[in-house]
Amino acid sequence: MSSESSKKRKPKVIRSDGAPAEGKRNRSDTEQEGKYYSEEAEVDLRDPGRDYELYKYTCQELQRLMAEIQDLKSRGGKDVAIEIEERRIQSCVHFMTLKKLNRLAHIRLKKGRDQTHEAKQKVDAYHLQLQNLLYEVMHLQKEITKCLEFKSKHEEIDLVSLEEFYKEAPPDISKAEVTMGDPHQQTLARLDWELEQRKRLAEKYRECLSNKEKILKEIEVKKEYLSSLQPRLNSIMQASLPVQEYLFMPFDQAHKQYETARHLPPPLYVLFVQATAYGQACDKTLSVAIEGSVDEAKALFKPPEDSQDDESDSDAEEEQTTKRRRPTLGVQLDDKRKEMLKRHPLSVMLDLKCKDDSVLHLTFFYLMNLNIMTVKAKVTTATELITPISAGDLLSPDSVLSCLYPGDHGKKTPNPANQYQFDKVGILTLSDYVLELGHPYLWVQKLGGLHFPKEQPQQTVIADHSLSASHMETTMKLLKTRVQSRLALHKQFASLEHGIVPVTSDCQYLFPAKVVSRLVKWVTVAHEDYMELHFTKDIVDAGLAGDTNLYYMALIERGTAKLQAAVVLNPGYSSIPPIFQLCLNWKGEKTNSNDDNIRAMESEVNVCYKELCGPWPSHQLLTNQLQRLCVLLDVYLETESHDDSVEGPKEFPQEKMCLRLFRGPSRMKPFKYNHPQGFFSHR
Amino acid sequence: MERALPLVVPLGQAEVFQALQRLHMTIFSQSVSPCGKFLAAGNNYGQIAIFSLSAALSSEAKEESKKPVVTFQAHDGPVYSMVSTDRHLLSAGDGEVKAWLWAEMLKKGCKELWCRQPPYRTSLEVPEINALLLVPKENSLILAGGDCQLHTMDLETGTFTRVLRGHTDYIHCLALRERSPEVLSGGEDGAVRLWDLRTAKEVQTIEVYKHEECSRPHNGRWIGCLATDSDWMVCGGGPALTLWHLRSSTPTTVFPMRAPQKHVTFYQDLILSAGQGRCVNQWQLSGELKAQVPGSSPGLLSLSLNQQPAAPECKVLTAAGNSCRVDVFTNLGYRAFSLSF
Repeated sequence: MSSESSKKRKPKVIRSDGAPAEGKRNRSDTEQEGKYYSEEAEVDLRDPGRDYELYKYTCQELQRLMAEIQDLKSRGGKDVAIEIEERRIQSCVHFMTLKKLNRLAHIRLKKGRDQTHEAKQKVDAYHLQLQNLLYEVMHLQKEITKCLEFKSKHEEIDLVSLEEFYKEAPPDISKAEVTMGDPHQQTLARLDWELEQRKRLAEKYRECLSNKEKILKEIEVKKEYLSSLQPRLNSIMQASLPVQEYLFMPFDQAHKQYETARHLPPPLYVLFVQATAYGQACDKTLSVAIEGSVDEAKALFKPPEDSQDDESDSDAEEEQTTKRRRPTLGVQLDDKRKEMLKRHPLSVMLDLKCKDDSVLHLTFFYLMNLNIMTVKAKVTTATELITPISAGDLLSPDSVLSCLYPGDHGKKTPNPANQYQFDKVGILTLSDYVLELGHPYLWVQKLGGLHFPKEQPQQTVIADHSLSASHMETTMKLLKTRVQSRLALHKQFASLEHGIVPVTSDCQYLFPAKVVSRLVKWVTVAHEDYMELHFTKDIVDAGLAGDTNLYYMALIERGTAKLQAAVVLNPGYSSIPPIFQLCLNWKGEKTNSNDDNIRAMESEVNVCYKELCGPWPSHQLLTNQLQRLCVLLDVYLETESHDDSVEGPKEFPQEKMCLRLFRGPSRMKPFKYNHPQGFFSHR
Repeated sequence: MERALPLVVPLGQAEVFQALQRLHMTIFSQSVSPCGKFLAAGNNYGQIAIFSLSAALSSEAKEESKKPVVTFQAHDGPVYSMVSTDRHLLSAGDGEVKAWLWAEMLKKGCKELWCRQPPYRTSLEVPEINALLLVPKENSLILAGGDCQLHTMDLETGTFTRVLRGHTDYIHCLALRERSPEVLSGGEDGAVRLWDLRTAKEVQTIEVYKHEECSRPHNGRWIGCLATDSDWMVCGGGPALTLWHLRSSTPTTVFPMRAPQKHVTFYQDLILSAGQGRCVNQWQLSGELKAQVPGSSPGLLSLSLNQQPAAPECKVLTAAGNSCRVDVFTNLGYRAFSLSF
């Protein structure tokens, strides 16, 4: 009934009505303890629903009572106070009921809460356990994964394959019976074997290293030995010099030459080597020598700093002293040109000796900046040559080697890259400088192993031995033939200028015994003059009269008849025949355009020249052709049909024996001479 | 005078020789194929070249079309004369006459069908054959040349049927007078002789040099060319080119041409002649010079008119002589182009 405040209860208990205070707390505590307990037990026994009903009934009663009290109070009276008191006591009882009910409700609530709290705590504990377990599970799983992923180092080693392993490993390691069944043991065994092998190899490696050391030491010793040998050999060589001279075996000379040859630029070196080889192997008349200053050649390769310092010094000096005389642009250009056309200080000299003791001296130079070779030629004869006037150009150094191969005139540089270099310094063409530099013939480049292909210009052209070797023999032979034919011509010209056609005895059979027409003149003509002649147009139009040819004019006379013959002599004589064009002045001017027989005469010497070649090497071709012309003129004049209307005998009585005078639609004269019968017939 | 300098090609021995050969080539004879599309030309080296006229005349003609389709060595000596039958080409030069099939010649390496030599008197030197003449009515071929005789050869059997003698010097040219039939021959002896083929006898002789109007002693008396048009004949050579009336043997017109003519032919109402000198001359029958058309050779030896009915587009006049070129005239007024060996 009084306020209950239990230790266990929270101070939230709210009372609806005013009740006596706490004075009775202590007593009520113990009482209450007993009551409390019983009240708590009572709670379990009572039905909450009924209590609720009771509560509602009690409230109702209270309300009624209050209302009655109210009535009574309002009516007033004496027994009202008793009634009111009665009712007040009843209300107090009801209040007590209410209090109890309130207590019960509170106890119930507390119980409920307690129960909930307990359950909740249990759940929490389980939950925590669950979490712990889950966490542990996860942890274990991670560990398992890690373990599974673990790669042992042993897997990175490349082990030998299984078959090999079983084959090679000694049985105490391979333990076949054990390992076959058990992969773990097998792997262990294999690893063992691997270790074993590595140990063995390491042993071997150490052994080899020590071997190597030993051998190196031996090499050192031998090297020292050899280097001490060189000076001894030199002294032997020196000692043998007198013996060499005594025996005429100039090895030393050759050796010296090879020494000098080492300083030659590559093309000259190729030429030197190939020419020496050819000379030794095939042609004893060829001799090779190197000329020039070796020191200068060595100086070319001196480090440039010294010279540059010198230059800058001298430049500075020059500037100070001669400030006014700055070199003009022309002089600068000139210097640049000189620099571009500079020759290597060394040159190779070849001497070709021919059968009649005449020698062709060839000097080969190398132009360093242009990467081409040039040659200067000179012919010397055993006896002094008196040069006839017309033979001036035959042996001149400028033209004696012209067109050795068809078209190789040696006036242009064969290296296409040179053109750009020339443009920089204002050189138009190399032909202005060939007189002093020599001719850059194509065969010269080939002999030096230089090849300038037209289709694919190469960046750098290097000297090639095989190119030189493949051209050496042909070129040497051609050179010899050329010199000999020129010398032969030289001699023949001397005779021709005196009006005698020198026919050798082995060519006499080509001509009849008696030849009346005579050669009266033999001169050179210039190329332009030849082109201007009216009867040479056909040759010029056919492209056979270039500026590399030599041109001559011969005059053959008999009586009043004068035959002019313009001759084109190709530098490739005598493999390329001289070409004749004729003009006859007799009873009018007859040339190949208005007289078929003149045309036939030209054909006899130009087309049928092979008969006139004579014995090889056909140096007699030109003279035979001239002699034939004389014979042809004889035939022409003697077989001319007599004009009945003109008085007087024929100027040229027929002395030649001819079968027929005319043949064919063009009424050809019998120009073909038949030997030995000696008569003339038609072709 | 500025002359454009020709390009000088570096020439080796072989090229120089070839160039010289071409410079000294003479084309003596020409003949047109029966189909009219090809022209055969024979030169002094004994070669025959076949040109394709249809290719050279077509609108897409290139430089190669002006070169021969095939060239082969036919004879050892010059090919002085050629004629074509309807299937064969007959060529003659130094003493032999050979026959070739037109259809086979265009292939390389063709060989002659047959080769015959007329019976010559002398054995010292083989005489040349200067002229060939076909006599279609008899199917025979007449040859004449260096032995001063005319030989007739039957084309079917190949035998030499008759020999006509009378010339005192070698024979240059032949012509056929269809109506009679008679053969005219002109020779070095200066006479034009007419022969009757049936009787094999000489029926008429005209000694041209004896007539003052046309004789030119400084050129000689030789008759180089003949052409006949039944009653009329034109001949030239040493004497001037003259038109003759055959029955009366009188010269009616003398053509004023100084240079000796080597070939003459009647064409429509003109007379075409060529000889020493560059030009093909066209004469009217009255004796006037209608036109002189220059060719490319310094002297001409043969003219050929392609009048084959099968190829009217190749109707051209071709002229050849002292060079390796055959000039083609599509229109008689000018030279269109030249074929060359």
